Amino acid sequence: MHDEYIKLHYDVLSGDYIRGGEASSSLKKALMQLGINNSVIRRACVGCYEAEMNIVIHSLGGEIEAVIYKDKIEITAKDRGPGIENINLAMQEGYSTASEEAREMGFGGGMGLPNMKRSSNNFYIESVLGEYTLIKMIINID
Amino acid sequence: MKDIFHSVKLIEENCKGCTKCMINCPVEAVRVKNSKAVIYTDRCIDCGECIRVCPYNAHVAEKDETFNIENFKVKIAIPSVTLYTQFGDYINPVIINEAVKSLGFDEVYDITYACDIVSEITRKEISKVPKPAISPFCPSIVRLINESYPELMEHVVKVLTPIEVAAYLIRDKYRKLGYNDEEVGVIFLTPCVGWITKIKNTQLDSKSQINGSIAISDVYSKIIKFINKNNKNIDANESASMSCTGLRWATTGGQSFSMHIKEHIEVDGVKNVIRVLDDIEKGKFDDVDFIEAHACTGGCLGGILLVDNPFNAKRIIKKYCVQLNFTNRFNRINEKYQKDFLSDVYTKASKGLRLADDFESAVKKMKYMNEIINLLPGIDCGQCGSPSCKAFAEDVVRGFSTLDECIMLKKGEK
Ligand SMILES: Nc1ncnc2c1ncn2[C@@H]1O[C@H](COP(=O)(O)OP(=O)(O)O)[C@@H](O)[C@H]1O
Ligand code: SF4
Ligand SMILES: [Mg+2]
Repeated sequence: MHDEYIKLHYDVLSGDYIRGGEASSSLKKALMQLGINNSVIRRACVGCYEAEMNIVIHSLGGEIEAVIYKDKIEITAKDRGPGIENINLAMQEGYSTASEEAREMGFGGGMGLPNMKRSSNNFYIESVLGEYTLIKMIINID
Repeated sequence: MKDIFHSVKLIEENCKGCTKCMINCPVEAVRVKNSKAVIYTDRCIDCGECIRVCPYNAHVAEKDETFNIENFKVKIAIPSVTLYTQFGDYINPVIINEAVKSLGFDEVYDITYACDIVSEITRKEISKVPKPAISPFCPSIVRLINESYPELMEHVVKVLTPIEVAAYLIRDKYRKLGYNDEEVGVIFLTPCVGWITKIKNTQLDSKSQINGSIAISDVYSKIIKFINKNNKNIDANESASMSCTGLRWATTGGQSFSMHIKEHIEVDGVKNVIRVLDDIEKGKFDDVDFIEAHACTGGCLGGILLVDNPFNAKRIIKKYCVQLNFTNRFNRINEKYQKDFLSDVYTKASKGLRLADDFESAVKKMKYMNEIINLLPGIDCGQCGSPSCKAFAEDVVRGFSTLDECIMLKKGEK
């Protein structure tokens, strides 16, 4: 049924503030080239960017995969740890453990995870302390 | 396909195919085909960068020849605020306006008045668009957003620009004086090609209040001659009531200053503006009130159709502010104006970057495009006539280029 799709893959490096954001930029370009509507592009872009920057800021590195179907976009972000101890707490608006360095660069508002949830129709998060964090967002295209 | 009009023109015999314009175009709208530059008109935002960088004067601004000033009974000029900065010193605006009149106009409108009105209305309208609000002033930037950031169009403040407001007020006045609209010619003296294009295109949409535009660089020598001849004869006490807040619209940051907006970002140069738009798109700057973006470095003072060095022009603005020290204050703007000065920001549904009309074909093209990208060396040598290997791959799937135009691929085949 969904045989027509585009799969994009990006490696995201820990601490790479300079290149961080490239995944969401290229996702945006691809969505425009595929003719996806504007508000969907905006939501996908915001969700992908927050997931990407969380890997840069909070994790040891990871990857983002985006699959674009005719009727939905699936964004999966997976990293190699350190994992999140208390997901409920992390999901709260304003909660952040961002480092001094990250804050100096304007990150650490604690709105990333809530924004990911808000931007997607379906949001899933799973984390094992010491191992990984996995985030899946589905954004419907209407 | 209905093509929109552009004001950047290529004189083919001057073009040596040097690729400078292709490399410098901030929106990748230029290609080099058969050793001649080609502008992809559906991408061009009329920023004038190619005119700036061309060493052979092959890219030029196309004149607005849609109007004949002699056809109007009354002829009114609206000089851009930048005009007043072009003469190396503070010159009494009265004499500059007389100089403009000597070009064949009956009246010269003080645009700083319209600037102050627009500042006041914009301040109120900012809260009606999502944060951060984006200034609708620079036509090249609005075009850029429309083409490449369409999802940000809703951030653009829905207010007319001072030029349009000035034209409205002029028409209003002459209607009251008993003139028909067709008898009144309203001409903008422009610092940039972006405005030539905008005025021509709104005329196509037939609701424009402005009849045409004249490049400031085209009338500069006449104006300066007039000033040199008459400057001494002017009564120093006779001074125009220009406002310095209005004049500051000529510079990047002048709008935010006039509107007293604290949390604002002022940015100029298309490439810099792109960096800011990229960040807005990612959800940054949600706490910023206003983005004042200009295509030209230095704001309109950097316009391609001006004569003086923009940084010197900025010095002159400060001199004016000392001399004039005046701002129009509008405690209340009449309700009709408040409503009439709102605008549906100029947009034309754009095909944007779409590879195909339907999703399935676009996916096929994108897959093919990605295959090509993997074949290419990624060195962006430009020999194929596209600005980068990625752009070349896109040009191939769009049918603008053929694979054999890549000399590196050809070498590999041997
Ligand atoms: N990929 C991740 N790996 C480890 N911890 C994370 C990850 N993503 C989020 N967190 C934790 O959740 C908190 C909240 O995340 P978020 O809402 O994005 O806010 P912020 O990034 O501004 O801190 C982070 O401060 C961090 O403690
Ligand atoms: S910044 Fe001013 S001069 Fe430059 S293109 Fe925009 S409106 Fe024209
Ligand atoms: Mg975050």
